[in-house]
Amino acid sequence: MHRYPRWPIHLTLLGVSFVMLVPFYWVLKTSVSGENIFAYPPSVIPKNPHLFYYVDVWYYIPFARYFLNSVIVSFLCVAANVVFNAMAGYALTRGFAGKSLVLMLFLSCMMVPFQATIIPAYLMTGRLGLLDSHLGLALPQMSTIVCIFVFKASFDAVPRSLIDAAKIDGLSEWRIVWRVMMPLAKAAIATNVILGFIWSWNNFLWPLIVTRSADMQTLPLGLARFLSYQEDTTGALYAFCIMVLAPGILLFLLAQKEFIRGLTSGATKG
Amino acid sequence: MSAAATHPEAPGRPRLLARKRVRQTMLVWCFLLPSLAIFLIYRVIPLGWNFVLSFQDWSPMRPARWAGLDHYEEMFFHDEVFWTACWNTLIFMASAPLAIAMALGLALLVNADIRGRDVYRTIIFISYPLMTVAVAIIWRWMFDERVGLINYVAREAGLVDRPIPFLNSFTWALPSVIAANIWQMLGFYMIILLTGLQNIPQNLYEAAAIDGAAARHRFRRITLPLLKPSLFLCFVIGMLNSFTSFDLVYVMTGGGPARATELLVTYIYKLSFVQTKFDYAAAVTVFFFVLLIVVAWGANRLSGGNAGAVEAD
Repeated sequence: MHRYPRWPIHLTLLGVSFVMLVPFYWVLKTSVSGENIFAYPPSVIPKNPHLFYYVDVWYYIPFARYFLNSVIVSFLCVAANVVFNAMAGYALTRGFAGKSLVLMLFLSCMMVPFQATIIPAYLMTGRLGLLDSHLGLALPQMSTIVCIFVFKASFDAVPRSLIDAAKIDGLSEWRIVWRVMMPLAKAAIATNVILGFIWSWNNFLWPLIVTRSADMQTLPLGLARFLSYQEDTTGALYAFCIMVLAPGILLFLLAQKEFIRGLTSGATKG
Repeated sequence: MSAAATHPEAPGRPRLLARKRVRQTMLVWCFLLPSLAIFLIYRVIPLGWNFVLSFQDWSPMRPARWAGLDHYEEMFFHDEVFWTACWNTLIFMASAPLAIAMALGLALLVNADIRGRDVYRTIIFISYPLMTVAVAIIWRWMFDERVGLINYVAREAGLVDRPIPFLNSFTWALPSVIAANIWQMLGFYMIILLTGLQNIPQNLYEAAAIDGAAARHRFRRITLPLLKPSLFLCFVIGMLNSFTSFDLVYVMTGGGPARATELLVTYIYKLSFVQTKFDYAAAVTVFFFVLLIVVAWGANRLSGGNAGAVEAD
């Protein structure tokens, strides 16, 4: 089927790509020049680009602190997701009394978006004494149902005879999960890591509610706060924006296939 | 089928077997425990608590009193902001089909056998996994009244005489936020539809071509019907997205000007964590949740069955 001409397709896609990329360029340009914050008309190509705004960010805000908080919370989320979801996913491959009840509970929990529970979730976190702590920030996202099912599907594909062989060799259930199942579920682990990371790294609403002190702010919070203090008066805001976006874009480009597979399998996150 | 029953080393020693089975069951529940605890603490109990709270008069540092349906009465009959937020949420949701139609077009284009299609896919998808707060700041800047790129282009092209204050205008604020949302979601819809397209067997098209079916007939009779599950998945995502979009609105407009972009989520957040009217916010949340379930159920009925099921077990 090579009869249709190609150039209209390329033209359309180039146009769309342009629309997708221009906002990045515009912000990048402002972050290295800051020139059109006060001046009209804006220049399309930056004159005298400089990196002073990137330096400013370090003076205006504790960027390293925000970054560290984000890393700690994301790490807690990712590690907990892999371990807890793998355990639950393995349990669901077994037959046991009450399994259908658990499955029903999981499937109905998927219908409850986090936004529908924020008030009691906040009060609950307060009762647990976890407000304004890394653990409190991470806890609600430490296990996700979609990811449990990703692990379950992956474990279901492991042949039964392999597990039986491991049992005859005297491995405990715990070791079967870690030594036999996990190495065979690399794709599921990658999906868990990526989803856990994206959901915690980008999360804004929950940190906004739970965080009290400036020391506990994560990157999205710091960005929003910086905006409310400075409005659009400084190029440093856009430099900050680029500094926040760059690691994400880099990670995405490095592991594109895994990202896309992970995100599509976690499409209907509850 | 129980795992213990098929266990290879199951000789006729019933007591040992029974003990083993109990141990296995215990182990399974231990494995489930962390996840179950998290879902209990953050999904099940909050949902019930929220429901109870919506019938109470309560604020921190004050004992709870029974309020009956007071909050619901206030919400339905005396709260105009609530209705604005509902309406805006529905408009936000109505933008999803538009985005999905565009994504379908793009999916067909990047599915074509052309050079550099992987690059196009990457470029169109890349905005999706990025931090929404940063995306919101980017689009605030694009929509800026004085020096935003959009106003600049519109003025240079002679489309407008005076710059439009997109995010400060009653008419333009919501469409602007929706445009930014579509920009972020478009690539995701496209990838889902692309996966659906790639799962359609090629020989169907070949057979149709041999039978002399025109391209548009092939699209109507083969592509669309077989793409239905992917399209439905997109609608579900779009619906969830419209109910849960908080970051974009909060950062771009804060719900303003004068509630023109207030969504149910942002309203719930403001009621509870700015005005500390937790009890009233709980009532709005109950309505929010019921509305979500009704819409999801309706969509599922329309799609004709369990297209939304994640796992067939």
